[in-house]
Amino acid sequence: MLRFIAKRFLWMIPSLFAVSFLAFVLIQLPPGDYVTTYVATLASSNEIVDQNAAAQLRERFGLDQPMIVQYSKWIWGIVTRGDFGLSFEWQQPVSGLIWERMALTLVLAVVSLLVTWAIALPIGVYSAVRKYSIGDYGFTIFSFLGLSIPSFLLALVLMYVAAVHFGQSVGGLFSPEYENAPWSFGKLLDLLHHLWLPVIILAVSSTASLIRVMRANMLDELPKPYVTTARAKGLSELRLLLKYPMRIALNPFISTIAWLLPNLISGSVVVAIVLNLPTAAPMLLQSLMAQDMYLAGAFVLLICALTLIGSLISDILLALVDPRIRLE
Amino acid sequence: MQDPIPLPGGLSRRGFLAASGSVFALAALATRARAATVNEAPALADMVKSGGLPALNDRLPQNPLVVTPHEKIGTYGGAIRRGLRGSSDHNGILRMVGNQGLVRWNMDFTEVLPNVADSWEIGPDATQFTFKLRPGMRWSDGHPFTADDVVFAIEEVVKNPELYSATPAQLQVAGKPVVVEKVDDATVRFTFAAANALFLENLATPLGQHPTLFPKHYCSQFLPSSGRDLVAEAKAAGLGTWTELFRAKCGDIEIPSRWANPDKPTLDPWVVKEPYTGGATRVVMTRNPYFWQVDTEGNQLPYADELSFGISQDVESLMLNVISGQIDIQDRHINILANKPTLSENAEKGGYRLLKLVPSASQQCQIYLNMTHKDPGMREMFANKAVRHALSLGLNRQEIIDIVYFGQSEPYQTGPRPTHPWHHEGLSKQFTEFDPDKANALLDEAGYDKRDGNGWRLRPDGGATFFAIDVIPTLYPDLVDTLELVKAHWAELGFDVKVNTIERALYYTRGDDNAHDAQVWPGPGGLDPMLDPRDYFAFHPQGSRYAIPWAMWYTSNGTAGEEPPESQKQRFALFDQARATADLAKRGEIMKQVFDLTAEAFETIGICLAVGGFGIIRNNLHNVPETQPDSWSWPNPGPAMPQQFYFTA
Repeated sequence: MLRFIAKRFLWMIPSLFAVSFLAFVLIQLPPGDYVTTYVATLASSNEIVDQNAAAQLRERFGLDQPMIVQYSKWIWGIVTRGDFGLSFEWQQPVSGLIWERMALTLVLAVVSLLVTWAIALPIGVYSAVRKYSIGDYGFTIFSFLGLSIPSFLLALVLMYVAAVHFGQSVGGLFSPEYENAPWSFGKLLDLLHHLWLPVIILAVSSTASLIRVMRANMLDELPKPYVTTARAKGLSELRLLLKYPMRIALNPFISTIAWLLPNLISGSVVVAIVLNLPTAAPMLLQSLMAQDMYLAGAFVLLICALTLIGSLISDILLALVDPRIRLE
Repeated sequence: MQDPIPLPGGLSRRGFLAASGSVFALAALATRARAATVNEAPALADMVKSGGLPALNDRLPQNPLVVTPHEKIGTYGGAIRRGLRGSSDHNGILRMVGNQGLVRWNMDFTEVLPNVADSWEIGPDATQFTFKLRPGMRWSDGHPFTADDVVFAIEEVVKNPELYSATPAQLQVAGKPVVVEKVDDATVRFTFAAANALFLENLATPLGQHPTLFPKHYCSQFLPSSGRDLVAEAKAAGLGTWTELFRAKCGDIEIPSRWANPDKPTLDPWVVKEPYTGGATRVVMTRNPYFWQVDTEGNQLPYADELSFGISQDVESLMLNVISGQIDIQDRHINILANKPTLSENAEKGGYRLLKLVPSASQQCQIYLNMTHKDPGMREMFANKAVRHALSLGLNRQEIIDIVYFGQSEPYQTGPRPTHPWHHEGLSKQFTEFDPDKANALLDEAGYDKRDGNGWRLRPDGGATFFAIDVIPTLYPDLVDTLELVKAHWAELGFDVKVNTIERALYYTRGDDNAHDAQVWPGPGGLDPMLDPRDYFAFHPQGSRYAIPWAMWYTSNGTAGEEPPESQKQRFALFDQARATADLAKRGEIMKQVFDLTAEAFETIGICLAVGGFGIIRNNLHNVPETQPDSWSWPNPGPAMPQQFYFTA
């Protein structure tokens, strides 16, 4: 087991290099560079950049150098000093910008994950056990609705209702008075007050798909002989369900942990933008649109690292949960 | 503040006329002795009582700028709420707060008024400008503001080659940067190498704010001459060089870090409390206790305690905030024709009224056919005036106006707006009638009479006449609709046109590389013909899209780009002459010659007069002019002086 983990870790290093280079190339592929985008953005408000300033910016940011030079400088800074570079747009160190947003991102992701599981697991099991009952049909309808409604649309509708009919402040995770206040009980309550909306919206679609997956897996397991055996031995129905078929049906949940970590950052971009959440996702999109190389690059690198770590974790967990899985 | 209706007059600086020579201009207008009694906001009065702040008389200059409120004297209190977009929206703050240059515009956008400078004197040949400052004026931290600060800002910061590898365009003439010297503590002199009659107008625009941007006592510590170990400090802050540290601490005119450092003293009515940084979800600014303007009854401005900018990632959520009454004044980002019905419908519910913006632009949809096209056949076609004439006659402008702009415009080519004293009927209205028969006849005559198998016209050299018009749908959705109609109209003439919707960086890249057939953009120069004449001759290397290489030739003094035809060269010379002419009447005469030549050359094809924008003002916010110019040179709402906006309950 240890050898397996060590080997996987070693493989992660070249993968990260390859991915970071590819990401850098991809971000640079669109025509123009940060300065072009910047000039165009200002022009959209009829604002003008001093004609000398654009050339100066390019020179200052090193955009006039070949891409390979830019990449080498960036990656060298990361390897030797842990310096992810400076965001062109904000003129602030990239690492600071990213970490600033990670705490709330983490809270939001974990809460929605827990809510999703708390709803999806029991319903999935119920739907399988009571197949073709009224309850099963009800949940099936709900889950297909959840799957088919785009979450940003749901977000817009809920926001409109909240804003126009209830006069609530919509968007963001805090009321204005708590926005920059230090943490207190009041602020926590305020956060909870705002958190439910994004959590529900994020949970709806993933709940729906998880219900379907759980139901299908359970249906596969339930008719199997070991279930009959356990039942014949006199286990109570609930105990039996939790102890045997559900453990096996959980396999896909565990394998998806690999995607959960990168989803922290890139999963809910559209919803986060519509709901104006101060999470990492909108910043990632912004940096890509502005061609803010180092910020975008750092995000992509982080996402890759999280994907690699996530798949390692889920492999280890799977091995622990399911004795049938081998490490070789 | 006196006149609520801006009569767009561009650059006629009447006061300037009266003052050219060497009288102290406009001094009488604004320099009144300080009102006998002065008042301040209750919160500041409390701080004075508790000893946390000097008395108001010690905080104000001897002769504060007296602002006549737009409607009436206001009351203190409240926070003005506005919205910003997630990124690159620092100018949304600048427009509201950072309009404190040496001089400012009047409400009409016609005249330059005293601001930080109390008065000025202009040398007879318009090379020397001497400004009288306000003795006793202070930065927002209480440190005196003197001529030294202005000299420092230009001589040590802007002219520092490591910070600015080239001097900003407003601060140089004939390739030589301005020289600034201190006459005494409250007098400062700018000397140019050649006449610069437009200097005051340029100073009143945002790009002219350098002289009052850098407090010497604060910013000098971030220059190498301070002797501090700046590299180490930069490293500690996660930055690379001292110039990065300087920009992070002291900012520049239009970069986000101008609003990211609460420690930097400013001359603005409000100062940063919660900064505009990458992770920010809002920006809060709080009143500057040392602000140097008072109303006519001696109340220190600003009236509102705070400014609060919410940061929205998405325009839709900003719209929701407006509709639900959570924004007090806004036009930026929501100012899209498609939003107008929603905003009007919800005005009562949201408790706001609509604000009217008069565009400074001339043309809503200027079509730039690339007369310097890389392909010789295409170049010949676009450079042929008969072809452009025919294409213009083939447009049913009234149909476009009725369908796309709800009838709110009139057929127009280019040139100063009808309300502008320099309006040129010929330039603006020629070839705007819809006459497809004449257009077809013109084309046949010009040798475009042969057609291909699909009925499309062929060029005299046998090549296809097909061309693509670039447009940025995310930026100007209405232009895409307009172009669809243009495409239909031109198809009637036998021209196959593609509406090429592209992303904006690609649009710019194609323009810069001269790789476009044609592009569209709103045509500026309606109220500000001297500041942005890009459609009157090849002035702007990124904007004069009908002939980018000619513009490069002009801006590089003939060392780059391509040599333009004689008519362009005459206009270059005339414009340079106009720029050096202080006398407004004479300047107008010279510009008329420019417009005559532009009309004769007929380089750009316009559709209709630029359509006015709109914004919203909450009903309990007062002293806001309900009609304002909409411009970057008149950075609305800044020159309407948000410091004198006030709330009633």
